[in-house]
Amino acid sequence: MDHVITVRELRVRDRNKTLVGPVSFEVEHGSTTGLCGPSGAGKSTVLRALVDLLPAGLTREGRIEVAGRPVVSRKGDADLRAKVVLVPQTPVVFGGSILDNALFGLRHVMRAPRQVLGDRAEQALKEAGLWKEVRDRLDSPAQTLSAGQRQRLCLARALALEPTALLLDEPTSALDERSRDTVEESVAALRGRRTVLLVSHDPAQVDRLCDRTVRLELPGAESLVAVPS
Amino acid sequence: MTITEEKRPAAEPGAQPRPRRSAWVWGWLFTGAFSVVAVLLALLGYLGEGVAGGDVDWAGLLTESSWNPSGSVFGGLAMIYGSAVVCVIALVLAVPVGWGAAVALSEYVPGRTARALRMSVELLAAVPSIVYGLIGILLIRPFVGSIADVPGGDSLLAAGMVLAVMIMPTIVAVSVDSLAAVPDRDREAAFSLGLTRREVIRSAVLPKARAGMRAAVLLGLARALGEAIAVFLVVGRADGRLPGTLDQLLNSLVRPGQTLTTKLAGPEPVLAGTSGTYFASLCGLGLVLLALVAMATVWGNRGASRPVRVARFRGRRSAGRSRVQVDRFVAALRLSALALPVLLLLGMFAVLATRGSAAFDPSFWFTSATGAAGGGVSDQILGTLLLVVTCGLIALPLGFGAGVLLGVHASARTARVLQTLTVVVGGTPTVLLGLAGFVIFCSAMGWGRSWLAGAFVLVPVVVPMVALPTCARVRSLSPEMTESALSLGLTRAQYIRSVVVPYTWPATLTGLLLGLARAAGETAPLLFTATVFFGAPALPGGIVESPVQALPTHIFTLSQDSGDPQAVAQAWGSAMVLVLITAVLLSLAVALRNRFEGERWTT
Repeated sequence: MDHVITVRELRVRDRNKTLVGPVSFEVEHGSTTGLCGPSGAGKSTVLRALVDLLPAGLTREGRIEVAGRPVVSRKGDADLRAKVVLVPQTPVVFGGSILDNALFGLRHVMRAPRQVLGDRAEQALKEAGLWKEVRDRLDSPAQTLSAGQRQRLCLARALALEPTALLLDEPTSALDERSRDTVEESVAALRGRRTVLLVSHDPAQVDRLCDRTVRLELPGAESLVAVPS
Repeated sequence: MTITEEKRPAAEPGAQPRPRRSAWVWGWLFTGAFSVVAVLLALLGYLGEGVAGGDVDWAGLLTESSWNPSGSVFGGLAMIYGSAVVCVIALVLAVPVGWGAAVALSEYVPGRTARALRMSVELLAAVPSIVYGLIGILLIRPFVGSIADVPGGDSLLAAGMVLAVMIMPTIVAVSVDSLAAVPDRDREAAFSLGLTRREVIRSAVLPKARAGMRAAVLLGLARALGEAIAVFLVVGRADGRLPGTLDQLLNSLVRPGQTLTTKLAGPEPVLAGTSGTYFASLCGLGLVLLALVAMATVWGNRGASRPVRVARFRGRRSAGRSRVQVDRFVAALRLSALALPVLLLLGMFAVLATRGSAAFDPSFWFTSATGAAGGGVSDQILGTLLLVVTCGLIALPLGFGAGVLLGVHASARTARVLQTLTVVVGGTPTVLLGLAGFVIFCSAMGWGRSWLAGAFVLVPVVVPMVALPTCARVRSLSPEMTESALSLGLTRAQYIRSVVVPYTWPATLTGLLLGLARAAGETAPLLFTATVFFGAPALPGGIVESPVQALPTHIFTLSQDSGDPQAVAQAWGSAMVLVLITAVLLSLAVALRNRFEGERWTT
């Protein structure tokens, strides 16, 4: 199987202090890979390094390849981010309607007639498991959605871009138990169809959702090897 | 901003590439930021060029008191002394009252009343200085004349009192902001330990608000130092008055004097030509003034944003019964301090409404002036609107660009430097803007008196007032939202267009309206550049040699003729019109802010 994402000896530094790594792992096409480890190990930082969204002041070293092409560290690589889409931990909903939000990224990345955009949005909302709940009120404000629905809306607007890979950063940690189940269902439904890298601090969740696991340790610890589960 | 939709048939979804149009957004933002730098460069260039064009005796300028152009004696010490004295008088009168009123407003007055009062204070702070000058001429000057033996009442004391009245609202408004920023849970925690209200304020509220309240004083000082017109009308403009002994010092307070700004607002800069020692010495005075005001503004703004240092606790425990009495006494003191600005507000509007009753006659608004002081002021209103609207059209994109660049710029140091520069531009004495505009537009570019020159000269007044709130609003965007937008593949330019603009526009527009309210009342920059008292068509036909008539300069000219009752009535009427226009702009701004600023654009 070919690798969608390959990470070799990735380190993230704050001046001279190494915050993360070195980490090496790969994400196979069509797989759901879990990235887990204790808090502070830098799971979210690794995701941000993959899409060049490290907080100001942090630098990365090492080699990252996405779909066979090396990622050159360069500010504002928007095209990369449209291919490998990060869904942050806390669901952020923009002003405007549910449909506006589902199309938020797509509308900027490509030009297409309204009809095509609408079809893509519908497809993405179905894939994220939100379509049934919002099909009658696509034009109502997105703020009216519950927290779990918002997280799935964030998932949908990432899926609408038809990304090569999805990076999910603790998608359920900001949610209550019931919403967590709905979001987990949506993520589980992507298994085998999309390439997903899922960050989670909950080993049980990784077991439930992922094909294989990459374990991150706190910096300084020895073993940083991908362990197929 | 419009996005042009090109209609191209899409063979399949996603076939169309992303539109690549980010360059212009960056160009726009950098133009905005550059405009701020350009204003400062133009100002420094004008003053520096002037100083370099002649032989300035700096030692003499800063230590000699005699000013005699015909004898080639240029000593500026008396003016520096005058400026210092009027500022000290203003601060001594305004600071205790302003602070007391601010504490009363924020801690004692119940919410609904406090909101209304805060709005009135903001209205007072936006009243054009020419109106304060008019009040100075017709109320404060006779008052000083009656308590001291000085003909007409023109004196440093009168100027200081006018400035005190003028800066008090600024001090109250900024102080209230910093008091309101102290979280309520701090007060609650202190109250629950058994402290009286006075003790809560002193030990829980003031330590956190102190930096902001100090900043309020510095901002008030900067405003007092840079004010030209209101002082010009009441200070008497007598050169070379420098006291030698303490006795003379006290006596000099009730004698006419001269300040840096009034020297520059007088006819001399225009008479002095554009080179030679005379002009160079005036430019030297301008540099001194600019440096003083810039220092006060930068310090003031730094204080407001700096984290609060832990203050030493200076309280002394007192016995149970007297605690309550002290508490009541202090409350009474503070509430009476609040009464002063309130009375001031009521008094001012009473005076304006009675003396300026002409303004309530519609024909005053819609007929032209006849003779020197008859008829209405429709031409002046049109001229003011023309200047303000043109200025707003230029200042909005520039200020917005500068604000967004300040807010999203990656490098913290660049942002800090740019922000300081913006703050300095905002605090620049407008009389200097007027003089620089006169030399650049009217002389060098050969426009003569031109409405467009006036609009350009007002732009630096408005740009910082648009840029700074925009920048603050951009910085309040949550990092999560930025990250969400960027992780969906938006370029920085698309992010600015789709996330930043929809989020900031209420703040931008509020800033613009407040800025225009200020620009509408500016007098000093227009005197040499754009306006005439009489005889210009209502709307100009071209750019070169096409002056307009404007309300502030109209009032300024009329008020210097305070012996003529008809001129005085006309001046009050025009002042009322100007205040009403300002009030409309201001209430629009406040309404906009209340409607949108509190509303969360996202969750």
